[in-house]
Amino acid sequence: MIEERIVRNVLAAALETGGDYSELYMEDTEQNNVSMVDGKVENAQYTRRTGAGVRVLRGGKSVYAYSADTGEAALMAAARAAAAALSGAKECEPQAFLVKRSCMETPEKPYSMVDNAARIALLRDAVKAARAYSPEVTQVTAGYLDVDQRVLIATSEGVWAEDRRPRGRVNVNAVAMKDGEAQTGAVSPGRGEGFEQFGNLDMTALGSEAARMAVTMLHAPDCPAGFVPVVIDGGFGGVILHEACVHSLEATSVAKGNSEFCGKLGQKIASDVVTAVDDGTMPGEWGTIHVDDEGMPSQRNVLIENGVLKSYLVDLLGSRLMNHPRTGSARRQGYTFAPTSRMTNTFFAPGTDDEEEMLRTMGEGLFAKAMGGGSVNPLTGEFNFSVREAYWVKDGKIFCPVRGATLVGRGADVLMQIDRIGRDMWMSPGMCGSLSGSVPTNVGQPRIRVRGITVGGKGGAL
Amino acid sequence: MEFNQFKEKAFEAALKNGCDAAELYFVEGDSFSAMVLEQELDSYSVSRERGLNLRVQLAGKNGYAYTESLDAPEALVLRAMDNARAIENEDDHPMQGKCEYRALPKRECRVDAASEREKIELAMALERAVKDQDARVLRVMRCAVGSGSSLTRICNTLGLDAEGEERIAYSYAVPVASAGGQVKDGFAFRVDDGIFDVDGCAKEAVARAVAQLGGAPVPAGEYRILFENLAMGDMLAAFSPMFSADAAQKGLSLLAGKEGEMVAAPCVTILDDPFHAVNPRAFDAEGVPCVTKPVVGGGVLKTLLHNLKTAKKAGIPSTGNGGRAGASAPVGVMPTNFFLKPGTECFDALTAKLGNGLIITDVSGLHAGLNTISGEFSLLASGMLVENGKAVRAVEQITVSGSFLSLMRGVEAVGSDLRFGLPGASCFGSPSVLVSALAVSGK
Repeated sequence: MIEERIVRNVLAAALETGGDYSELYMEDTEQNNVSMVDGKVENAQYTRRTGAGVRVLRGGKSVYAYSADTGEAALMAAARAAAAALSGAKECEPQAFLVKRSCMETPEKPYSMVDNAARIALLRDAVKAARAYSPEVTQVTAGYLDVDQRVLIATSEGVWAEDRRPRGRVNVNAVAMKDGEAQTGAVSPGRGEGFEQFGNLDMTALGSEAARMAVTMLHAPDCPAGFVPVVIDGGFGGVILHEACVHSLEATSVAKGNSEFCGKLGQKIASDVVTAVDDGTMPGEWGTIHVDDEGMPSQRNVLIENGVLKSYLVDLLGSRLMNHPRTGSARRQGYTFAPTSRMTNTFFAPGTDDEEEMLRTMGEGLFAKAMGGGSVNPLTGEFNFSVREAYWVKDGKIFCPVRGATLVGRGADVLMQIDRIGRDMWMSPGMCGSLSGSVPTNVGQPRIRVRGITVGGKGGAL
Repeated sequence: MEFNQFKEKAFEAALKNGCDAAELYFVEGDSFSAMVLEQELDSYSVSRERGLNLRVQLAGKNGYAYTESLDAPEALVLRAMDNARAIENEDDHPMQGKCEYRALPKRECRVDAASEREKIELAMALERAVKDQDARVLRVMRCAVGSGSSLTRICNTLGLDAEGEERIAYSYAVPVASAGGQVKDGFAFRVDDGIFDVDGCAKEAVARAVAQLGGAPVPAGEYRILFENLAMGDMLAAFSPMFSADAAQKGLSLLAGKEGEMVAAPCVTILDDPFHAVNPRAFDAEGVPCVTKPVVGGGVLKTLLHNLKTAKKAGIPSTGNGGRAGASAPVGVMPTNFFLKPGTECFDALTAKLGNGLIITDVSGLHAGLNTISGEFSLLASGMLVENGKAVRAVEQITVSGSFLSLMRGVEAVGSDLRFGLPGASCFGSPSVLVSALAVSGK
């Protein structure tokens, strides 16, 4: 990829003005996208991103310079531009690269060996099935994405780490219309593997599922508003953990006192049934990384154990500010971002509760079967997320589907209000946006129940 | 390889291999940003970016390939041709030929001459000013300054050669305020020479934080709503894809086929003005000359936004709204400077007119709680409770829900306080807007 001599010179130049740590990140990422509208290929695109970033730390201060040009002269220029932001005398030299980590394994079916015909064939099956589901389905769009990211992280502490991160994903979006109203349904599975992952995917079932969701919502009344018990189904339901809790456990927020969970290590922040994990090591998962973007191996981090806060998610800068060990959680979208603490595969660990009982004994409330995205303000803990497919529950029985539901609340409140965690956990992929850009993360959980959440919607009582 | 050399080789390879035409969309630029914390430089970033997107036309189909290293023009052409062969959509997507553009006024901003050091000093001053505003300010969570410039060049084998430059400078502050055990943050930004308005920015950021203190939900129900300008601008931005002819032609917008019909209250006029001073440009992402037009005029949908492809399909000229969501993206449809035309009433007059209801100052989760296909939204919101025309207390942890089209039809009054959000490829703006009724959920 690049000579060690050049990297060493770059890291040394970056330390000229008193930095105590320097790091070079180089990226070569290839990506293919195909989109289909109305059963026809609408667009196909190839993208290659190449560039490098040099970061210098001095205590808790951080400086970053990046460039699309990865020639020796450009890298040295970036190192000098970064060093120029500090104004001290040289204090240390980069160490020899004694810690080598290479995770450059070629996937079973690398994306570079796949042609457009194979990509398109996947989408065609899904679109056909969605169209066939109901005459109310008026449009189906589908997308295919593959990414092969190759990175090198070399640090002045003597780490030389290389990682290859293939990932692929498809999405199917169905639109159902009647009487001037439109509703949508969507599915979007993906894994951190090569093209071989799609061999196990039933595209026809995915197409039908997207269509079923859109048609179901088309015949649903508006969701009533109120503060009610909510059962959230497994899989992407774990977005509640992601938004309501774990963003507020990232060093990005915690290190500078901007999280509602600051200073709470060892304290009870959730009800007894709650154990939450962020695990970057799970083979082939969407959020998996072999080494993080500071060159440290990823690891399994138990964040909450039986309701007690055990760990934050911490990068190098965070560890300096918080006096907390690094957790292999430094991530970035690419070379245009400096790394910071981020999630990987984040989930509520399976519990012991019966999935049917939690519905049966909830009285009146909401069953959130499929979640959409959300966001959180870590300072206040205020979160929101949308529900793609929801059902109103009366007397412990599903009464009818409801559309347009949103859940809002405060992370700390909701964690204490979880009273059931089911036995069967699974995960779903998403893209998470934060200070270091958009990174692939999995969210997951078994079915859970929360005693009360504010449900937003524009409907009246049912 | 230099751009011009790359261009010649790529065009030669494209034509030799049987392409009807080829186009390069090239962006290069640099940026600077700095954050200060407790009167010290906390983080600093500088960059040099570039990207080149090749589009080829092969038997009427467009194929794309993007790179950031200018080393292999022929290989890029073959990638793009392979992608063009995969396209099944039959619609013709023409390329713009050579043309003339309206000259833009020369940008005159004092900040363009400021050094990085001077800009960092402004951020330091902003942090001090924020802290000095109010005893309830605990600290400044983020205080930043930045600037950037970029050059866009679009060339094709039909003779198009368009070149445009953009510059921007910005600052923002996020103070944390606390009272009675409650913690709230605020946000205010300034753009271009506005960043010299340190006190104004500090006052606004702090006012936004402290105004939320003492907030509590309201009972669920129907409320009259006054959206403050920036919150309304965020809503308009989020729903703007409904005005795309591309979405409409694909059956993904409820505005499809509604040209000439009333889609909003008569007091609603929405303009797309590429020449507005907030971010003027002479041509769009396909090199088509930009034009100013009402999109909604007096409540009537006048036009959807078109690029060359959607315009050809509709049998009309492009509205100059070819857009790319970044240099690596294919040509789609995007607004330019897209805003609700201001009326005559000031914010206080609108509050008086509201009588009893809610002022919404902030909506969250727009990427999730809002659907541009169904046109529906259900969003976390905060603001003020208004009784008898007077704001009486802060409101938090509520949702506002409705549909964009019924919201637009329910507009009772449009304020005079037009304001734009942070600029991007598109800029969105709105004055404050009084709406007859929306569903609110709380406790």
